[in-house]
Amino acid sequence: MKRLIANSETKDKLGARTKVAVAGAAALSVALLSGMGSAGAADIKIGVLYPISGGGAIYGGPAMRGHDLAVEEINATGGVLGSKFVTVARDSKINPAAAAAAAKELITKEGVNVILGGLASSVGLAISEVARREEVIYIATIPKTIKLTTSKLHPYVFRTASNTDFEGDAMAQIVKKVNGKKLCDIQLDYAYGHDLGDGIAKALPKHAPGANIVMKLRPKLGATDFNAYITQIMGAGCETVVSGLWGNHFVNFAKQAAPFGFFKDHVYITGGEIASHEVASKLAGDYPDNVWSNTYELWYHSPTGAHKKFQARLAKKAGTNATAMWPVLAYNGVMLYKAAVEKAGSTDAAKVIKAMEGLTIDTPMGSLTVDAKSHQTNTGQFWGPMKKQSGEAYRRMEPVTFVPPPSK
Amino acid sequence: MQTGYKTTFWISCAIVLLLLLVPTLGSKYLIDLTTEILIYALFALSLNVLIGYSGNISFGHAAYFAIGGYSCAILLTTYELPLIISMPAAIILSGLAAAFVGYFCVKLTDIYFAMLTLAFGMLVWAVAFKWRAVTGGDDGFVGVNVPAFIDNRYGFFYFTLFVVTVSAALLWLICHSAFGRTLVAVRENRVRAGFVGVNTTRLRHTAFVVAGTFAGIAGSLFAMYNRGVYVESAFWTESGQVLIMALLGGLYSFFGPALGAAVLYTLQVGINQYTEYWPVVLGIILLIILMFLPDGIIGLAQKLRSQFSRKA
Repeated sequence: MKRLIANSETKDKLGARTKVAVAGAAALSVALLSGMGSAGAADIKIGVLYPISGGGAIYGGPAMRGHDLAVEEINATGGVLGSKFVTVARDSKINPAAAAAAAKELITKEGVNVILGGLASSVGLAISEVARREEVIYIATIPKTIKLTTSKLHPYVFRTASNTDFEGDAMAQIVKKVNGKKLCDIQLDYAYGHDLGDGIAKALPKHAPGANIVMKLRPKLGATDFNAYITQIMGAGCETVVSGLWGNHFVNFAKQAAPFGFFKDHVYITGGEIASHEVASKLAGDYPDNVWSNTYELWYHSPTGAHKKFQARLAKKAGTNATAMWPVLAYNGVMLYKAAVEKAGSTDAAKVIKAMEGLTIDTPMGSLTVDAKSHQTNTGQFWGPMKKQSGEAYRRMEPVTFVPPPSK
Repeated sequence: MQTGYKTTFWISCAIVLLLLLVPTLGSKYLIDLTTEILIYALFALSLNVLIGYSGNISFGHAAYFAIGGYSCAILLTTYELPLIISMPAAIILSGLAAAFVGYFCVKLTDIYFAMLTLAFGMLVWAVAFKWRAVTGGDDGFVGVNVPAFIDNRYGFFYFTLFVVTVSAALLWLICHSAFGRTLVAVRENRVRAGFVGVNTTRLRHTAFVVAGTFAGIAGSLFAMYNRGVYVESAFWTESGQVLIMALLGGLYSFFGPALGAAVLYTLQVGINQYTEYWPVVLGIILLIILMFLPDGIIGLAQKLRSQFSRKA
């Protein structure tokens, strides 16, 4: 071959290209073969799906920290039924098709005993469908769409997150508290936004029968320009706004609405965990007045001694005292599975399902009970107004009120 | 039958026979992976009719994949129609949609054609996203009913293998017919082909419909395999992915795109197990193709073979 290559410049180029291509393929093969995880035969494998790349990584990253904390704690105390928990994590990417493929791979190749995680509602539903088909338990730790535990419920799906009906009910209670009459409803145009809008509409007659939604707006998921919506709300004459704009959607909305004096004229009641450290730290001094919102956890508010200890461990792991909210959700999911396996005395899915139905566990946020029929835990949230603190730009919830899920 | 065709036929038969043995290996994962690869291989083969044979680059091919998927899912689940009606109806709908879109697209050429396919593709995505009552919107259409005989891993694998084999055979016949040959002539020199009496616009339109129809078959299989269809299936990134599959395998070879689909999908699944940086790897793969493998893996194999045969 060497002689042939030397004979012609064209062939020389061809040979060089070929070599590079073959070298590239070899490098990829090596990359594929390297880094293979290992787990002992007796280990209990936990499949985890959070978005750890792209736009969802700001939520998935902290969630993984909470998950790892739980697994470390369990293994440090000898594991469960004499077996260690081993995490097999995959990137769900906020893409249901990718998450479904990854869930299938976790089950059929890695042989995981359970799947935890999900973030977007669509991803939660996709993973749940795989769990149903493969007959493996899925614990949804973050997705909130009500369908997961109602119209799409099956024996293998459980949820430790709150849901859009719980969130809507709490928001209706706050509407009553602030004596809201004319409401504008602004939600993102996707599963979570639609379901939260429905949840609020369902709860208003119960808690605030005098309140009416006079305008519904649905900006698209990922929207960054809210000026058209802001002026529409200001022209509609509503004194209260109910919303579910989360994360950067709210950050952009708040920054664009503030110059109009929007937050002086409106009480803004919002789901989407806008009271979380993630949003409060991002907006800091730009966080507007008159905002009532929710969060699962607050690093500066410990309702239980267990939370204090949990937060201290988390702060050590994260390297900061002001910790994110998402870890506790992932942490609770692992702890629920651990308790169910211990109660069942086995990792057999049918036995664990039976053990999980009606099970109560202690978490950093208090006790959680799994409803035997709906497979939904009674996860409440902290709600309250976000107040300025003297000497710091960072707003804190004050007073902090725990709103439990509505009674049936 | 020409000698080259005979060889292709026997190699294809051998591959199908080997694939038939996959379930006997006892790995559920391997069965799933092979099923997914078969679906994407058909998707990539369908695109190659448009790109490899007629020389029209489409950035909206995922639209027909999604239309096939959504139609099949909705007919099977919402209307509870049997598979024998749902799947053919979904394929016909994909073909009709391609006929409609293609009518406008083939009036343009080159980058304008590509941009119009992208625009129509995103239109389909927007409809799937907004028509929540029918498609499930962002939730996706989850929980597709499938008949009992394919409601298990093994049944679905053999069903997919059968459908993909028949579809690939049909595509091969189409591409190697007088129609396919004329398409290549149009690809090589549209003006000259027009001068010798070929109705290039009609020919390109037919290629568009053929490509859309077979993408619809792949989409139907995808919906049934996943028991769900999602809006992401219609997004432009999906069109981009299948384009890279075709490029990787080799555009000017019939089976190249299928090989590209197998390699790219296996790499994607494999790499995702070890790192979240798949997009970086995808970028590197694309760079390697464009810089060093313009004719894809098949082109590389042909070059290597030619080098070795010269040496011998």
